[in-house]
Amino acid sequence: MSENGSALLQVEEVAKSFGGVQALRSGSFELSRGEIIAIVGANGAGKSTLIKIVAGVFRPDSGRMLVRGEPVAARDHNVSHMRQLGIEVVYQDLAIVPNMNAPYNLFLGRIPKRFGIFVDENAMRRKTREILEDLKVKTVQSLREPISAMSGGQQQSVAIGRAIAWGREIVILDEPTAALGPTETGEVERLMHEIRDRGTAVILISHNLEQVFRLADRILVVHHGLTTPAFPRSGVTSEQLVRAITLGEQVA
Amino acid sequence: MSGPATSGEARAGRGEMLRNNVPYIAIALVILLFTIVSGDRFLSVRNWTFIAQQTPVLLLLAYAQLIVVTTGSIDISVGSSLGFSMYMAVLGMVWLGPVGIVLGILSATLIGFINGSIFSLLKISSFVTTLAMLIIVRAMLNIISDGGSIYVTEQAATGTYVDSVAAPWLLALGRFPNILIFALIVTALMWVFYEKTVFGQQLKALGGSERVLTLFGVSVTWFKIQVFVAAGFMVGLASLISLGRSGAGTPRAGEQFELDAIAAVALGGTPLTGGHGSVLRTVVGALTLTVVANGLTIAGVDPSWSRVARGVLLIIAIAISLNRRRIDVVK
Repeated sequence: MSENGSALLQVEEVAKSFGGVQALRSGSFELSRGEIIAIVGANGAGKSTLIKIVAGVFRPDSGRMLVRGEPVAARDHNVSHMRQLGIEVVYQDLAIVPNMNAPYNLFLGRIPKRFGIFVDENAMRRKTREILEDLKVKTVQSLREPISAMSGGQQQSVAIGRAIAWGREIVILDEPTAALGPTETGEVERLMHEIRDRGTAVILISHNLEQVFRLADRILVVHHGLTTPAFPRSGVTSEQLVRAITLGEQVA
Repeated sequence: MSGPATSGEARAGRGEMLRNNVPYIAIALVILLFTIVSGDRFLSVRNWTFIAQQTPVLLLLAYAQLIVVTTGSIDISVGSSLGFSMYMAVLGMVWLGPVGIVLGILSATLIGFINGSIFSLLKISSFVTTLAMLIIVRAMLNIISDGGSIYVTEQAATGTYVDSVAAPWLLALGRFPNILIFALIVTALMWVFYEKTVFGQQLKALGGSERVLTLFGVSVTWFKIQVFVAAGFMVGLASLISLGRSGAGTPRAGEQFELDAIAAVALGGTPLTGGHGSVLRTVVGALTLTVVANGLTIAGVDPSWSRVARGVLLIIAIAISLNRRRIDVVK
C-alpha cells in the first residue's frame, strides 16, 4: 500500500522510557493518505506511548518521525506542532473539558479571537453547527450548556468532530467504540470511512479484532514495546493475529 | 469513556441550579433577619451608605480570589498583599509624589507573579505557596514599616513627627459615592474580562481539566503564572481604595482579609473546586458578608462573636458551593 515516496507519515524506530521503564523499545511504521492502519497489542505493550509520540504528547528519546517526508525536529515535537501539521487524536476517555460547552471543546487550543483578546463566540457556534452537520450528527440542543450535560453519544460526536475538523492529514482513534453500543459503533465506523474517503489517514487502536478486520487496510502489532512490520489485512488470519499479540510471533 | 449521560448528570444540573440561586436566597434571608432584629437602624440610608462604603475593598479582593479559585487554586496571601501594597502606595507617594501610588499596584502584581511562579514552576500547591507568602509579605511589611504607619492627609502636615503625605484626592476616592463608582467600574471590567475574554474562558477550562488542556497543546505553565499576576493586579486596585478609605498605610492593614475574600467567593456560589464562577454572584457574596458583619454590630453582638458567626458562615458557604461530584477524597 505505502510506497516510500508517497508516505504521509514515517515513524522510524522511536523509543520512549519513563524513569527506568521502557514503555516503547522501538516503534516503526508508515502510513499513506486515505489508509486505515490498526494498532493492536496487549495492555501495556506500548500502543498508547506510540500514538502519543505521533500526537506530540511525548517526545521520543530516540528515533525520528517524518510527516510528508519532512523530519520533525526534536524542539518541534509537541502537540501544538503536530496539530498544525494536521494530526489529531480522539482519546479513549474523549478528553473533553466537562464544564465547558461544545464549541469551546471543539475549538480547544484554537479559540478564534476578536481584537486579540475576546472570544469570538458567534464564529465558534456557527462553525460548531457546521462541523456537527457535516458529520450528520443530530443537532445538539444547546451549544451554551456545559458538555457534561450532553449524552455520552453526543460527547463522543464532539470529540470525534474535533479530530475530523482539524485533522486534515491523520486522525488517531484510541478505542473509539469500546464504550459504545452497536448503533453508535456503526456510526463511528461510518465516519472513519468518510474521512478515509476524503484522503485522511486513520490510525485505529482497538481490542476488537473483528472491528480491526472489518476496517483496517493494514495491521500493526505491538508486543513488549516492539512493533512488527505492518501486514495487510488479507494476509493474516485472526489466529495468527492473536498469536502475534500474545506471543510476539512474526506473521510472515 | 468519561461521563456518559446518566441521571447523575441530571441531578448535577439541578445541583448547579440550586448553587446558582443560593447566594440570592442567602442575602434575602440575611436582610430579612436583620430587618426583623434591628428594623429602622439596619434599614436606614445612613447604614446602607456605610455598607456601600464598606463593601468595595472586600469585593475587589473577592475578584482577585475569584480569578484564582476558578482555576481550582486558592490565594490566601491577598490580605497580606493588600496591607503591603497599601503601605508601598503611600510610601511611593512620599518618595515620588502622587504618581508614586503606582508602587502599590506594582507591589501587589509582583507578589502575584512570585506566587504564580512558585506555584507553576516549582509545582508547590497554591495553598502552601500563598500561605508562605502570607507570612513572608506580612513580615516584609513589618520590616519596611518598622512598625510605624504613614498617613494620608487632606493638607500637607506642618509638624515632622508624623509620617504623612497629603493626597486629598485619594481620600475623596475612599468616600461614598466615589468608592462605589470605582467598584462598579471595576465590576463592569471584571465581568467583561471573566465572561468574554479568551483568558477568562481559559480560567474556567483550567479549573475543569488541566490534563485535557495539556493534551491539546494549550500551554498552562505560563498561563498559571498569569492567573496569579491578574489576581495580584486586582489586589493592587483594592489597595488604592482601601488606602483612600482608611487613610493610612499600617503594618497590620488587611489582616485576615483573605478569609473574608474566600468567604465572599464561596457565598457567591463559586465552588472552590474550580471550573465555574460568577462575577455578579460574587458581588452578592461580598455584600452578604458585609451585611452580616454590619447587622451583627448593629444588633449589639460582641465583635468576637461576630467573627465566630462569619467563620461559621464561611464553612456553610463552602459546604454548599463545593461540587461534590469532583471530590474523591478529602485530605
